[in-house]
Amino acid sequence: METTQTLAQLAFTYFLVINPLGNSPLILALLKNYDPSQQRRIILREGCFGFALALVFQFFGQGFLSLLGIDLLALTFCGGIILFLLALQMIFPTGEAENKTQKPLQEPFFVPIATPLLVGPGSLSIVMLTAAADPDIIKTTAAITLACIAMIAVTTSAPMLQRLIGKTGMAALGHISGLILVLMSTEMLLNGVSLFIKRL
Amino acid sequence: MSFFTIALVLFFIMDSIGNLSAYLKMVESLSPERRRYVVFREMGFALLAMLFFNYVGEFLFLALDISEPSVRLASGIVLFLIAIKILFPSPTSLRAHIPEGEPYLVPLAIPLIAGPSLLATIMLFARSEESLLVMLGAIILAWSASMIVLLNAKRLQNLLGTNGLVACEKLTGMLLILLAIQRFLEGVQQAIQTYSAN
Repeated sequence: METTQTLAQLAFTYFLVINPLGNSPLILALLKNYDPSQQRRIILREGCFGFALALVFQFFGQGFLSLLGIDLLALTFCGGIILFLLALQMIFPTGEAENKTQKPLQEPFFVPIATPLLVGPGSLSIVMLTAAADPDIIKTTAAITLACIAMIAVTTSAPMLQRLIGKTGMAALGHISGLILVLMSTEMLLNGVSLFIKRL
Repeated sequence: MSFFTIALVLFFIMDSIGNLSAYLKMVESLSPERRRYVVFREMGFALLAMLFFNYVGEFLFLALDISEPSVRLASGIVLFLIAIKILFPSPTSLRAHIPEGEPYLVPLAIPLIAGPSLLATIMLFARSEESLLVMLGAIILAWSASMIVLLNAKRLQNLLGTNGLVACEKLTGMLLILLAIQRFLEGVQQAIQTYSAN
């Protein structure tokens, strides 16, 4: 295997790990109480947050985590648990939230959309590892930038989907994406558990 | 563990950034001079609690016959639940029901600044860190940093805006979850090692 990847390869890897196509319906389900222009604004903002977070991790991730004494393993667990709880909320919406659906307590800010959905533990650890393996800072930064631009482009066009499938479709989508999210997060948790067992 | 690791972890668990909005809501009706006084007094209480656990922690371990893994597990779980409340705000949590008016000991000093997880963390660190000087220095450093954040609460709010504050709160919540999980996993690992050794 070649040790250094080209810019396009790297950007494509990041894009796949961030998985904007798979995440778009999830984000849409989370934002179902907002009108499309608000949704686009929130998604754009969260996308930029995610981009900033990825860049911060490229430069300071390793140092920061080791300074706090946190393993990569904990990052995997963290993403898994948060996404699992989120999925439970989507599958079993509490009565209260259902009644006054119009406006939730707070619009989503940073958590859960920017992280761990878009730029989650997977993308963060890949960014950290590739940044550590490859001394070419500009290439890594450019790859992150490309991947994030693509991600923002894909996710901000997601609200158009809503017009296609309508209100009942959105409700169904919420439950189905909840199921998918449960699967994804359990996979993440299992990953963490197996890493942990190997380390014991 | 290095001096800066201890100080940084303590600073994050005090979570003065995450507590900013709660603090601002509490002192809304007070004059600026009164606010400064309240911050000094409450942080003083918090420091007393921290120092108390720094010195008494070892004794607690012995007197209650508690093992290190259980403190790790317990503090990890408590910290985890606190952080979950930050990330998924529920209408019944303490943060949603901040009592109006001037705080006295409760809730600002304890539990918002010096909560159970912080005190348990100090117990753990005081046990593993041999040098008392390093431990005291780290506590003072983290404490002063939190105090600076609280004293400049109004300025920070103007700088970041309400939404910026929420973002910071969530980000520190995420960090707390990471710390909690790390602590919990260490506890599990330590417990397994202890049991398999016996």
